[in-house]
Amino acid sequence: MASLITCPHCGVRPKEEFAVRGDASLIRPASSASDAAWHDYVYVRVNPRGRTLEHWHHVAGCRRFLVVERDTVTHEVYSVVDGAAAAREVRR
Amino acid sequence: MVRDYNNRHALDQKLRGTPKPANADHLEVGHWQAIATVLASVGLEAAVERALSSTPDLSLRYCGPGEWLVVSGVDTPLGLMRRLDMLCGTQAHVVDQSDGRVLMRLSGPSARQILAKGIGVDLHPSAFALGGSTNVLCGHIAVNLSRIGEDVFELIVSRSFAESLFEDLMTMGRPFDLSAAFSD
Repeated sequence: MASLITCPHCGVRPKEEFAVRGDASLIRPASSASDAAWHDYVYVRVNPRGRTLEHWHHVAGCRRFLVVERDTVTHEVYSVVDGAAAAREVRR
Repeated sequence: MVRDYNNRHALDQKLRGTPKPANADHLEVGHWQAIATVLASVGLEAAVERALSSTPDLSLRYCGPGEWLVVSGVDTPLGLMRRLDMLCGTQAHVVDQSDGRVLMRLSGPSARQILAKGIGVDLHPSAFALGGSTNVLCGHIAVNLSRIGEDVFELIVSRSFAESLFEDLMTMGRPFDLSAAFSD
């Protein structure tokens, strides 16, 4: 696992300060969406090899949710952005 | 049933007895230090920071975006709350943490070496400058670390973790003959 994460608020930090909170590429379906769509959103996850988007919670630091883009094979970290900023970007 | 509550400092048990003379590396524990958290309302972060940093005897410790720990060396806990309420008004949420947090000041020529045993952040002055502050993990405990002098650091920790952090720091400082006492 990527061992150093550059938090946009705190700087370079070891991974021990974070909690990984799962896939960040999912988009919540509308409340009127079908049961199948909700089932997929809540339970079904891919197990990707390569680039992934994940939510990382900086528990011991700024306590913000971050969206980390990293590679599950090479452990390379491509980008780290604040979760709120990423969510605004998606909504646009 | 009537019960008497004793307002005890979290480290009273650890630092009981006559104080020993301070060594070169010394851990000073703040006794009844006034501390408060300030969380700025959305969009008003810059205004709150300006109001707080314009006050000379308040020390601002960065926690996260729009969130600070405010430490005062001159106020009582109640006085600090009154002052912050006047400064921030409705722009921020202010919560008194004087009984909820414990402040420890680590000073001495080996302070950096002692902290490096538990903290995964570069503490060289070029990376962590004088006046800088941030939340970090020390061992397994989240603390707010700030540099208030070349070889002087302050750690602010939740009260319930204070004993554990204190023991960790004393273990980390044993090769350097770290001593400890209350600040007054």
